[in-house]
Amino acid sequence: MSLEVKNITKTFTTSSGDVTVLKDVSFTISNGEFVSIIGKSGSGKSTLLSILGALDSPTSGSIVVDDANIEKLKGHEQTKYRAKKIGFVFQQYNLVPNLTALENVVLALEFGGYPAASRVDRATALLAAVGIEDDQLTRRPSRLSGGQQQRVSIARALANEPAYILADEPTGNLDSVTGKKIFSLLHDLSRKQNTTIVVVTHDLDIAGKTDKTFTLVDGKITTKTRS
Amino acid sequence: MNALTRGVKNTLRSPVRSGAIILMFAISIALIVSMLVARSSVLAKINEVKSTAGTNITIRPAGTMGGMGGGDPLTAAQLNTITSTSHISSTIMTLTDQLSSDNTNLTSSLEFGGFGRAQRETTNSSSESSTSENKSTETPRTPGITITGTTDVNSASTDGSSLSISSGKTIDASGSDTVALVGTDLATKNNLSVGSTFTAYSKTFTVSGIYNTGNRFTDSGIIMPLKTLQTITDQAGVVSSVVAKVDSSDNVAATVASLKSSLGSAADITSEIERAESSVSSLQGIASLAMTGVIAAAVAGAAIVLLAMIMVVRERRKEIGVMKAIGGTDGKVVGQFIIEGLTLTVFGAVIGMVLGILVSGPMTTSLVSSQNTSSTNRTSQQLSGVRTSTNSSEAPGANFIRGGFNQIRDNASQVTASLTPNILLIAAGVTIFIALIGTAIPAWLTARVRPAEVLRTE
Repeated sequence: MSLEVKNITKTFTTSSGDVTVLKDVSFTISNGEFVSIIGKSGSGKSTLLSILGALDSPTSGSIVVDDANIEKLKGHEQTKYRAKKIGFVFQQYNLVPNLTALENVVLALEFGGYPAASRVDRATALLAAVGIEDDQLTRRPSRLSGGQQQRVSIARALANEPAYILADEPTGNLDSVTGKKIFSLLHDLSRKQNTTIVVVTHDLDIAGKTDKTFTLVDGKITTKTRS
Repeated sequence: MNALTRGVKNTLRSPVRSGAIILMFAISIALIVSMLVARSSVLAKINEVKSTAGTNITIRPAGTMGGMGGGDPLTAAQLNTITSTSHISSTIMTLTDQLSSDNTNLTSSLEFGGFGRAQRETTNSSSESSTSENKSTETPRTPGITITGTTDVNSASTDGSSLSISSGKTIDASGSDTVALVGTDLATKNNLSVGSTFTAYSKTFTVSGIYNTGNRFTDSGIIMPLKTLQTITDQAGVVSSVVAKVDSSDNVAATVASLKSSLGSAADITSEIERAESSVSSLQGIASLAMTGVIAAAVAGAAIVLLAMIMVVRERRKEIGVMKAIGGTDGKVVGQFIIEGLTLTVFGAVIGMVLGILVSGPMTTSLVSSQNTSSTNRTSQQLSGVRTSTNSSEAPGANFIRGGFNQIRDNASQVTASLTPNILLIAAGVTIFIALIGTAIPAWLTARVRPAEVLRTE
């Protein structure tokens, strides 16, 4: 199992003309790798992550995930791909504000087609695994701290046992201590569950602890692999 | 928790806002229900009025009116033509005659007075001029006694209701017995009571009943079966007037035209078509107003739901984007927002229908009375216009106009609000239509949300 990016180019049309944010980007991520993508603001990191998660399409090039060319998938197939194979973790957590911590995870299980009868049990177990206490299960996001919300977000990302977790600045809104805890959580997941994790970050310390770092400069990518 | 539960739960996310939306929607549904009730009640009344008011056509021999004038009675052949004319549902046939002291033992309860004398002198001036020497001895002291042969004794009633029999019983007007109803004044004058007898055209009649109409002229007459009068006056098969009832006021004009065509110049035909039209025009105004109210309330209701849901979708674009990003299909995400819209609609519809049922009665009354006031003003203006133009204290025809207005007022004031299952079904249909309109566009907006764009701009 691998994620292979081949000659990706992404151009946005703006009022001031076309802007190319990704230029002929190619790389491969192996199963179970913990990968970071770094780069300046506006360098195209988040765009690349969106393309990997089938939220956006490349202007040219292809992404092959487990032998499937995802940009050629139809709309509902891309949705299924996101539900089954991808787990998203966002900088702003992006939990559904009207749902409790437990319900947010159950929602992802519902979208992934998990059996209704065991959704609550699985969601509870996932939240416990990321460190959410029982009394926090029924709290809405507004009554959870940033770190707790990000833990819920990670539990939601893990709900359908995805092969890939795409995390966009997962520690960007957290203090350094909490940020480190969240990073450790992701790192443990990568190691224990053999989940492939792609983290977009500004934090060079975090990037330094991943298996592989891709640096985006002016839309082009360089790779640094650690042993 | 599924899309249904989430949709319902999200409706309660902002209780104040949802409450306001539900309340506004409920008011528009209440308006729809009450306007539908008003319209339905008024339409029912219109149909009732059309089948009763202004549906009579009076056919008289050409040149006669109220026993005056000249001309030949309507013949059996003409009567057959009348009864076989389309849309005529029933007929009342009448033959009138005058009994004088030569052919009855009764004494009239009326006096000539100045009006009667003048009328009589005008009528007899030419014939009496040749026999003026006998004038003092031949002139009767009282007018003749009006005797009416009819197929329906109630036609003698002055107010259109059943003839009031103060003692005794009515007669079989379709028969040919020598029985009669006697007016209360004539009965008093001649000491007649039920079972008494009198003679007319050498026949002895038994008084079956004494009637009282409150009209002195009418109460000084005699009513007997048509066939009996035709027989004793040797006028078999003929009548002096026919009142034909048409099945609906909508068909009066066509029926009059048909009768004029078939009877030609032999008959004078009059109808109450204008009165019928004015009777229903007021009600039709209320029905149109109610229909306008239904449409306006439906549009307002749809706009409320539509704008509320557009606002919800716009506010929650990010949430929609996140749901799609984590694997929510368009169907599931759109479904949740449709359920939110439907929840608002259902709550509003239930409250609105209950409210509508409660206010439909007063609303109908209010609509009818406001239309009445409007009609009153218009009629007053018409009357004063007539007075001004004729420069007299009471304009000719004013009573007719006032009578017509009274009829309109009576018709309108008798409208009773009635809620039928059909109205509730229509209201439910309108609600579903509003819900579809109110949620379809927001649903389309929801489906168009692209998660990458929403998450990029966060």
